[in-house]
Amino acid sequence: MSTPVQFEDLRVGLEIPSLSKVVTREDVKAYADASGDHNPLHQSDEFARAVGFPGIIAHGMFTMAHLASCLVRWLGDPGRLLRLRVQFRSVVFMGDTIVAGGRVRDLDPERRTATLEVWVTVERDGTTEYAIKRSEAEVRPG
Amino acid sequence: MTLNPELEGKAFPPIGFTVDPEHVARFAKAVGEDGSFVPPTFATTGEIAALAQVIADPELGLDFARVVHGEQEYEWRRPLRPGDELSARPRIASVRARGGHEFLTVETEMRDPQGELVVLARNTLIVRGRR
Repeated sequence: MSTPVQFEDLRVGLEIPSLSKVVTREDVKAYADASGDHNPLHQSDEFARAVGFPGIIAHGMFTMAHLASCLVRWLGDPGRLLRLRVQFRSVVFMGDTIVAGGRVRDLDPERRTATLEVWVTVERDGTTEYAIKRSEAEVRPG
Repeated sequence: MTLNPELEGKAFPPIGFTVDPEHVARFAKAVGEDGSFVPPTFATTGEIAALAQVIADPELGLDFARVVHGEQEYEWRRPLRPGDELSARPRIASVRARGGHEFLTVETEMRDPQGELVVLARNTLIVRGRR
């Protein structure tokens, strides 16, 4: 992991390093098995098409896990992530690139905590949509 | 309203779940981590196991074919550690209708054997209205 961020490094408006990855069928299958969420919407193209999608979609929780990875990488320690609340928006298809990011919104010097606005964008054929938007994290850096 | 609003406040029996190192390794790999720590969202595995009994409750009337995941929140009181034995206890926090859709929020408390709260999960499912 990179050098952990310190509370003193933070300023309102600071953007954290983004984290991107391409969503693959193998990862989503592995996530279904590891999480126990076997909803066919994430496993069967036939089922997904029957409910109006062109193919299977990633679990919302798969995308949230990626956002948590982005935050923990920045914080340097999973124990520094105190709270994460997300709203799911656009669905994520196989082959999409998801990009997690965040920006410091509030600082609490007494508790040495920060509140961040966080998001995950999805890049597909040159367009950008939000898989996660209007969401919030509370962190306690070093 | 297809969901039964009278179930607001209903608590379900706790489901035990273990932060098993082999399971953590599989989960970490699936979400792109190296497995050197327990990913905070590993809590999802216990939450999903606990939610199964809520979703299957015949009194609730949840039509899973019309469900999308609307919101999710976790509060971690401490990080999950390999070997943790936790119990996940779900409770229906709210049942609401708005704009032709219905919203089901379930809060799941994950506690250690001493009863200390480790993770609080809040899951909101949206039941899409019929056209």
